[in-house]
Amino acid sequence: MTEFFEVVERDGPARRGELRLDQCLITPAVADDVLVDAGDLWSADRDVPEGDSDEVTILPHRGFPPGTADEVVDAFAPSYPDVSYPSAAVIDPRTADDHGADVYILSTAQGVVGHASAFREAIKRVRAGIPDDTGLCLSGVATPANVALLAWAGVDLVDATRAKIAGSRGQYLTPSGSYGLDDLTELPCPCPACARSVDEFDRAACIDHNVATLRAELATVRQRIRDGRLRELLGGRCRHTAWVAAALRESEAHPGYLEERTPVFRRSDILASSDDVLNRVEITRYADRLAERYECRFRRPAVLLPCSARKPYSESQSHRQFRDVIQYRAHRVAISSPIGVVPQELECTYPAQHYDTPVTGRWSPNEVTLIGEQLGAFLATHDYPRIIAHMPPGGYREVVEHAVGVADVDVTYTVEDHPTVEASLSNLAAALDGELAYSRYDRRQHTIRAIADYQFGPGAAAALFPSFDVEAPYPKHRVLGPDGAHLATMVPEYGLLALTLAGARQWVAADLEVRRVTIDDFVPHGDVLAPGILDASADIRVGDEVVVEGPSAFGIGRACMHGRAMVESTRGVAVDLRHSEEL
Amino acid sequence: MSQPSPDVYEQGRGMDAHNQVMRGIRAQAEAAYDPHEPTRVWIDEDRTPDGLQESLTIILNTGGCRWARAGGCTMCGYVAETVDGGSVPHPALLDQLGVALEHEREHTDEPCPLIKIYTSGSFLDEREIGAETRRAIAETFADRERIVVESLPDFVAPEKLEDFVVEGLSTDVAIGLETASDRIRQDCVNKYVTFADFEEAAAIARDVGAGTKAYLLLKPPFLTEAAAVTDMIESIHECGTHAHTVSMNPTNVQRYTMVDELYFRGGYRPPWLWSICEVLESTTGADTIVVSDPVGAGEDRGAHNCGECDEQVAMAIKDFSLRGEPSVFEEVECACKRTWELVMEHETSYNLPLE
Repeated sequence: MTEFFEVVERDGPARRGELRLDQCLITPAVADDVLVDAGDLWSADRDVPEGDSDEVTILPHRGFPPGTADEVVDAFAPSYPDVSYPSAAVIDPRTADDHGADVYILSTAQGVVGHASAFREAIKRVRAGIPDDTGLCLSGVATPANVALLAWAGVDLVDATRAKIAGSRGQYLTPSGSYGLDDLTELPCPCPACARSVDEFDRAACIDHNVATLRAELATVRQRIRDGRLRELLGGRCRHTAWVAAALRESEAHPGYLEERTPVFRRSDILASSDDVLNRVEITRYADRLAERYECRFRRPAVLLPCSARKPYSESQSHRQFRDVIQYRAHRVAISSPIGVVPQELECTYPAQHYDTPVTGRWSPNEVTLIGEQLGAFLATHDYPRIIAHMPPGGYREVVEHAVGVADVDVTYTVEDHPTVEASLSNLAAALDGELAYSRYDRRQHTIRAIADYQFGPGAAAALFPSFDVEAPYPKHRVLGPDGAHLATMVPEYGLLALTLAGARQWVAADLEVRRVTIDDFVPHGDVLAPGILDASADIRVGDEVVVEGPSAFGIGRACMHGRAMVESTRGVAVDLRHSEEL
Repeated sequence: MSQPSPDVYEQGRGMDAHNQVMRGIRAQAEAAYDPHEPTRVWIDEDRTPDGLQESLTIILNTGGCRWARAGGCTMCGYVAETVDGGSVPHPALLDQLGVALEHEREHTDEPCPLIKIYTSGSFLDEREIGAETRRAIAETFADRERIVVESLPDFVAPEKLEDFVVEGLSTDVAIGLETASDRIRQDCVNKYVTFADFEEAAAIARDVGAGTKAYLLLKPPFLTEAAAVTDMIESIHECGTHAHTVSMNPTNVQRYTMVDELYFRGGYRPPWLWSICEVLESTTGADTIVVSDPVGAGEDRGAHNCGECDEQVAMAIKDFSLRGEPSVFEEVECACKRTWELVMEHETSYNLPLE
């Protein structure tokens, strides 16, 4: 139960929160000024402190440093009193639990920061133990170079202690690593402490610089969380600090914790400026869903096309040319890195039109293998009558060749030199000569079905919309029932469906897993707040469509938290309700 | 929710847990020692109530500490140094004594006026050193001025100390009290002794005309640097009324101990040499002689500073221990003192060790 901390915005596992003291502190933040230690119980017995609404009182505790044996932890773990003021409890991964505090401080921070897998494991265990909407604090470890990682992993509060200690030893910290004071010939920083000559810059100034730099980096982190782009910042920061890069890779290689916290769509673009991006949950989730949920309903040849800078692809100059030649006689399948295989029905669907990548035409062996495997599996599954690769030479062609090897299929290549030159386009036209065009009706039906399967699970389209009509032009389709009832709208920005109340009723009635939020006996309007929630499906992710049900209300909306957070939280907006009705 | 009951502390579950863990750790130790050789012997110089005296220190190899067999203290690795089988017979102990005297003859011209005898447990525990051996030792050193024997307080008895007093020796019983705080001694050190036991033993010694020397431990595990310094200063003042000398032992990381496990996982740092200076400087007014001879000073596993100044600061500590002159500390300075000050200010039970 937290009364004084609230998560107001999420960016994957990172959160922007508010620590509601007399003066509100926006997190992630340096908390030195507000944390007040009531003392440890190893050295003395202590009374329950009086507390203050202007500070977070760290309740009397026994910290268990890294390496403390489990038996010792179990025997000495203190119990925390119920208090009415803002409070923090000291925990380790073994004692992480709901102790009624607003903030939890991890006592093994020194043992895990700097060690990628230990760090990942500790954060995962602690976050599983403490309520989702409570603050997590790591003391004595934050530096400008690692704080983006700490915040990204879900740490809400840090302190300036490590930055001060480093300064006292003549370590000049920056977000891109540290320098020995003696090695600096000029001061690469505009902070007030650095407004002097390097000869006059002493360790006291270095402490001030380090603290100022840590605070500045946290301001950047907070802005990035607002923008939904913290992962991009971390992707850059980790290039300078080996363990930070290792922690990011370790986390993305064991995605359970991340997956639960990764939204199903984002407003911002994914910047694919390194191979690490291929392991992002957004990318792997798309690949998994494509493999598990997508069904190709076009009985036509496949034309494999290169991706375009402009998105959705079909609106780009090059794809307009391809479409003019193809004339609805083939199924368009775009190939891109990092997204992989994008069938035409999903070209709007997140993340297919939400990425930016440095265009060089060169593909890394890793990209060729990963996307080649994905394409191979795709071609092997979807039994096309013919496969035409309208792909330029170089990386794209290598991907196709890899896929051909995997799928054991025949491919006709139609590009000479460049895909949009006359000769290439005529080759494409010749290859499709004699094929029949599919109807607009089929095109629209297949698009809605593909999106519904992608969004609601394998076979969902048939169960959710057994029979339907589509109106309004692509990509703003509306789905109507046989009786003309409006069931869903395609959201062009994310290529996902937003259900109406009627659509939600069909979802509940269908033989499908429903992402459901059970609320208490009240009629919500606009937002559903966490305290009103009795239960929520564990597989709800931020951005998911969710049915809201209670004794007096039925509604449909979009999740603002993952399912477990909805159940555990005592504060915050859980569901952005689109439609609801009183029962 | 796993909310442990608040009366855990009183139930002694903490001690059970410590002992259980320590037994497991000690089981990994494999070394065995020759019962006819003492563990260590050396000649040194010590500050005593009678001034500086040359000393012969003998660590006898005995059956080992009873408490260590139950689990024992979190920082103590001496159990790894005892012989197989649990006890050493009288003739073998006399052999050890002979080796020690031979060492003394080889390394010093005159017999040392001060004799200090330790075991890996308690010299006055008759399971380790029987009455016959104890009397033989008292007779052997009857011509010296002072003898110090180390023991847990439970084993301190008038007749045992009288064996030495009747030989005309100034006799001191040295007691590893570690801290005057029963809470810290029990929870951090896992030593069952209480301050009241210590007071009682000191009274027994006083009644037979013997003195008491207290051994205190600087920075047991789980304490911050600042809490450790505070505890040491308070402990020195509390011991001062019972002990004429306090020897401050900074924790060093010994193998097969809980401290070693913490150290290995990054959860323990031995005290700073600056902390020792701080304690010595601020207890010059105490009603007792305070000395410190840090084991492994300057090493990663011993009390240390930044590496640059360790030798110089350790020298000052040694110098102070011999002369009791606090001005020696004015002559040592290093940039790392600021780091130590920050550690003193900012290290907490939830971020230790800060370095």
